[in-house]
Amino acid sequence: MSDLEQPPADPDEVISSPGIDMFVPGHAPTNAPLNERKQARRENWRLIRRRPAFLFGVFILTVWVICALLGERITPHDPLDFRAGSHLSPRWEFPFGTDATGRDVLSRVMAGARDVLRIAPLAAFLGVLFGVILGMLMGYLRGWFDTVASRIVEAFLALPVVLIALLAVTTLGSSSWVVTGVVAALFTPIVARTVRSAVLAERDLDYVTSARLRGESNLFIMFREVLPNVMGPIVVELTVRVGYAVFTVATLSFIGAGPPPPSPDWGAQVSENYNSIISGFWWTTFFPAAAIASLVIAVNMIADSVQSVMEAS
Amino acid sequence: MSSSADSTTTTAVAAALAVEDLEVAYTVRGIDRAVLRGVSFTVAPGETFGLVGESGCGKSTSAYAALRYLPSNGKILKGRVMVAGNDVTGMTTAELQAFRAHDASMVYQDPAQAMNPTLRVGRQIIESFTLLGQNKEQAQASALEALRKVRIADPARVMDRYPFQLSGGMQQRVVIAMALACNPKLLVLDEPTTGLDATVEAEVLDLVRVLSRESGAAVLLIAHNLGIIRALCDRVGVMYAGKIVEEGPSSEVFDNPQHPYTVGLLRSLPRHGVRKTERALTTIPGILPLIGTELPTCVFLDRCPIASDLCRTVEPPFVPVGTDGTRFTRCHHPDLIAEMKEDLPVVPISVLAPSETQPDVLELSHVSKTFRQRNLSVPALVDVELGLSEGETLGIVGESGSGKSTLAKAMLGIETVDAGGVVSMGGTAVPSPTGSRSAENKRSMQMVFQNPDSALNRSWSVRRILMRSVQKLTGIKGEEANKRVEALAAHLRLTPRHLDLKPRQLSGGLKQRVAIARAFAGDPRIVVCDEPTSALDVSVQAAILNLLADLQAEQKTSYVFITHDMGVVRYLADRIAVMYLGRIQEVGPTDDVFNGPNHPYTEALLSAIPSVDGEEKVRIRLDGEIPSPANPPSGCVFHPRCPRVLVGVCEVSEPPLREVSPGHSMRCHIPIEQLIELQHKPIVG
Amino acid sequence: MRKFILQRLASIVVTLWLLATIVFMLVSVLPGDVGRKVLGPTAPKEDVAAFNAQLGTDKPLFEQYVKSMKRVFTLDFGTSYQTRSSVSDIIFPALGRSGKLAVLAFIFTIPISIFAGIYAARRKDKLADRVIVNAGLASSSIPEFVTAAVLLAVFAVELGWGKAFANPPDGTSLFGQLEYLWLPAMAMAIAYFGYIARMTRAGVITALNADYTRTATMKGMSSSQVMRRHILRNALAPTITVISVQIGYLIGAVIGVERVFNYSGLGSTMLGAVGAHDVPVLQGAVLLVGIVYMLSTLLADLLIAFLNPRVRLETTR
Repeated sequence: MSDLEQPPADPDEVISSPGIDMFVPGHAPTNAPLNERKQARRENWRLIRRRPAFLFGVFILTVWVICALLGERITPHDPLDFRAGSHLSPRWEFPFGTDATGRDVLSRVMAGARDVLRIAPLAAFLGVLFGVILGMLMGYLRGWFDTVASRIVEAFLALPVVLIALLAVTTLGSSSWVVTGVVAALFTPIVARTVRSAVLAERDLDYVTSARLRGESNLFIMFREVLPNVMGPIVVELTVRVGYAVFTVATLSFIGAGPPPPSPDWGAQVSENYNSIISGFWWTTFFPAAAIASLVIAVNMIADSVQSVMEAS
Repeated sequence: MSSSADSTTTTAVAAALAVEDLEVAYTVRGIDRAVLRGVSFTVAPGETFGLVGESGCGKSTSAYAALRYLPSNGKILKGRVMVAGNDVTGMTTAELQAFRAHDASMVYQDPAQAMNPTLRVGRQIIESFTLLGQNKEQAQASALEALRKVRIADPARVMDRYPFQLSGGMQQRVVIAMALACNPKLLVLDEPTTGLDATVEAEVLDLVRVLSRESGAAVLLIAHNLGIIRALCDRVGVMYAGKIVEEGPSSEVFDNPQHPYTVGLLRSLPRHGVRKTERALTTIPGILPLIGTELPTCVFLDRCPIASDLCRTVEPPFVPVGTDGTRFTRCHHPDLIAEMKEDLPVVPISVLAPSETQPDVLELSHVSKTFRQRNLSVPALVDVELGLSEGETLGIVGESGSGKSTLAKAMLGIETVDAGGVVSMGGTAVPSPTGSRSAENKRSMQMVFQNPDSALNRSWSVRRILMRSVQKLTGIKGEEANKRVEALAAHLRLTPRHLDLKPRQLSGGLKQRVAIARAFAGDPRIVVCDEPTSALDVSVQAAILNLLADLQAEQKTSYVFITHDMGVVRYLADRIAVMYLGRIQEVGPTDDVFNGPNHPYTEALLSAIPSVDGEEKVRIRLDGEIPSPANPPSGCVFHPRCPRVLVGVCEVSEPPLREVSPGHSMRCHIPIEQLIELQHKPIVG
Repeated sequence: MRKFILQRLASIVVTLWLLATIVFMLVSVLPGDVGRKVLGPTAPKEDVAAFNAQLGTDKPLFEQYVKSMKRVFTLDFGTSYQTRSSVSDIIFPALGRSGKLAVLAFIFTIPISIFAGIYAARRKDKLADRVIVNAGLASSSIPEFVTAAVLLAVFAVELGWGKAFANPPDGTSLFGQLEYLWLPAMAMAIAYFGYIARMTRAGVITALNADYTRTATMKGMSSSQVMRRHILRNALAPTITVISVQIGYLIGAVIGVERVFNYSGLGSTMLGAVGAHDVPVLQGAVLLVGIVYMLSTLLADLLIAFLNPRVRLETTR
């Protein structure tokens, strides 16, 4: 955060900011704002907007979201249209070239954003939701529940995610709901572990004791007292998981467990075409591969910025 | 401008340490924020100089700047530091390394962190000597010798251990041994005993005193505890907002302060055995300015009771007081100080006479608590018997492992007590887990915690914190509850504006007020206070103690007050229980416990506390470490460390708690007459 | 120490049992007729029934479960549906080939990523740090198969510096195999650069801010002496944990890379088994991956215990 050269607008910002408190613990603001939560959010937003990595990530992500939303309406050609010549190298009419069956690669790459963007964020959200509930119960209740659940979580972590996803998808079919559910289920234990350790640190704090002393129920303590205090790591986990979900979904479709062939999915495009690289037709693989890479990197850059700002505050 | 020259009475060349008009700033968000605003002082060889002040005043920054070890965002803007005639501020990296290796050393708070956890102690000490150019064998021999010098009985064995295998006191000795390895010209001690138990602290302080005399090093001691400064330092500088506001021989500064801040600081301490029945403590109004605040004239201006127009326009110079040239103050009106001291407001607090009160608001009988750790049973409380009357304050003192916090938890039902123990409130036994207590029982007993940062939910506003407690404890809902929250806040001197803030926007003192308000939300009969002021600065502590005393007088609340601060407990408590290894060793009215005769442990504890009043005392030092509660000694658990042990008796059987005078009991085999006699004579040897 | 290892081994057995159960549930409880899937939709009903009877998949689930667990704990993985040969004969050589790839990838990535992490920590918030952090972020975000495809296009096809088919012919010397293996290994190495470099950086930064570092500096040591003698030992523990956890992921990631380079390792074996519904091979392979993962975390814990006496001594007590 050392790259912030502009002075804060008013003294209250200094007080509610991190960093200053390190040097001057415990001194009250003279003129504090009334709505502090809004203030803190604005502060974080101001910090995050100044990170070039964040802006870059948001830009790339926006491009892909627009492609996903508008799809065929903005692609230069029909992504499923076979009429062009096969394996045309990139040129004015087909900037990314055409594939073996003569479909426009650019149009296919643009339309391919839809599948991954429909699945990945939802899968990440569900994974985090269940992970938070499980992790909260484990960390707060401890005891036998924690012991048993921790073992199971550990066993899940020993499984290669992609492989299990593949196994489940081949058994249950490869509809996007199945992929979403499977990815969410595989993320749940990972998120639960993170949340559990955050909750473990919280439950020993005296505000929890104080809540027990006035007779609060466990549910109230978990979700009203503790949860707001572990939202930081949860938000970070959510953004990171979106990145991993894109990664996992792309890998799944690469190894053949994604949406069925005619669909212009990126992973599937790589999978269909990588064998022709040897024949010199690099563009059919390169552009969808680059699309996957750009989306994952964009999401991760956003995640990383969120994490840095969260950790600072 | 004049300030740099006039404080430096001795010439810079002769001084072991000369800090000259030092200005240091921390860069926070791209802006330099002043921390030190022109600090000047000198320390002569062999002299011990102390820096005191409340947190945030810049005393630690001064210490680190003296060895040029500032955080990465800190920088020296102006001034210089001379050690033994060398300019530290202008050294190259190589010179600085050589300087740190040969001429200066530092000891800091938290010795557990100061050593590398993955390397054996021996290797780390030997390293200090090899850096001086000794070969392996020489360094090995020097290391053994260094450990012997810090009174470690079995140095070879200690060298073979890892830091975490040593007790806190041992760790600090090893760190001191490393610091003294190079025979430094300058030794900087930053809160060297903070976090250590009182009896261990006393030993470490003795060691520092002797060794610094022996080595002839100049010592710069940073401490927030004024008693330690008085016990150790020849001279002291009082810091406020990045400046030294007063300087002089420590006994004179503490007995006859010459700056309004020093006067305020000292008056907020419970000194000379003052009790709450005599007067309220004095507080300093206002708060310490933030670092980086523009303070063009006097730094203390906003909080000073004697500030004049002159103070608002002209920066006060650092002027000598008296004629011997040893005392200085940064004040325009030293002549008004005497007046300020005279007009000490005597605000006695209305205190309930114990006779008016009901006995046994809370009673503990045969309360024990044994923790199970793997296959070990660890007795944390052993057969505790205690009673608490209405409106009474029971102080509980003891060192770490004494079980005082477990006792509090047992009372509140946070820990279930072992079978056979009974906790009763108002004559009826209450069940152990808090959850199974009735709403009325929960309302009647509440707690104030040591650290308000941990005790207040940081994502809740103050209003929500108080509202929830009011609703949950009293059952009042809606607008009425809101009114009650506002009344409660007003009672604790919190303004309505504070109600809409989050805890982290409040100062430590305000946070603790919120925590107290929460405890009082349901008009409790008993409030258990676990070290409620130990995380606070002394001037804030005074305000909190006054508040607690006022609330008690009004509401006839009873307090169980857990603390390690003997001055505080003496001020506030009506009765005191002294705990050691889970047992109550002595319990009695405050005066009886402070005047004696005492249990030998209490005696040692009292004599271990360095007092800001500097009374000469018979000093009793305990040997060895506090034993682990998992493996308590046979017989009287205190016998291995007891200076008055009766061999053949004490290690055989545990003495019962027996009454020596009305209400005053102790657990000791020595007949009371003999104790009285012994405690009027110094211990020989 | 021995007690510590025994405890860990016992917990590995428990985890393995859970793992085997999860895999069993995935392949058996989920709907689907094994015989039908293996023999295909056109096979006569009787053949499917006979096949199922032969495999025992028509038995009650619990009976199948007990039988399956019995096999798992005797490390007898059964016979492949597809090739009728012993599963062990399929998966162990495949593991060996994948292992070769993984070892090579680690040889490429560990020294450079640890060095980059240390360098970035020392230059925290400077340009070099930003570059390393963002390169690491990018390298660990890109799916391995994407990296593999790009490497294949650039090096094997355009420059001719490696082989597009990574299976070395039988009898190729160890050194000669390098020409075949370096590209897929590099694809994996790039993916792990980010994780390891970032974790090393974080560990070193923590250690740089620790009090013992201050003590060492105040003793008059140079910053490189402090780094060597005091910081690395403390800073590398989290890195070791990451590397060990990555071994598990590495085997998962190997699926994509092996497919791009047509390499017949464990990844390709698993992929083939999924396609052919060859449950025993799949089960065996997944359990093998689990065992390798857990042994590597055990190894990491031992290494950390070796570096950190506190872990070592407190667990022995």
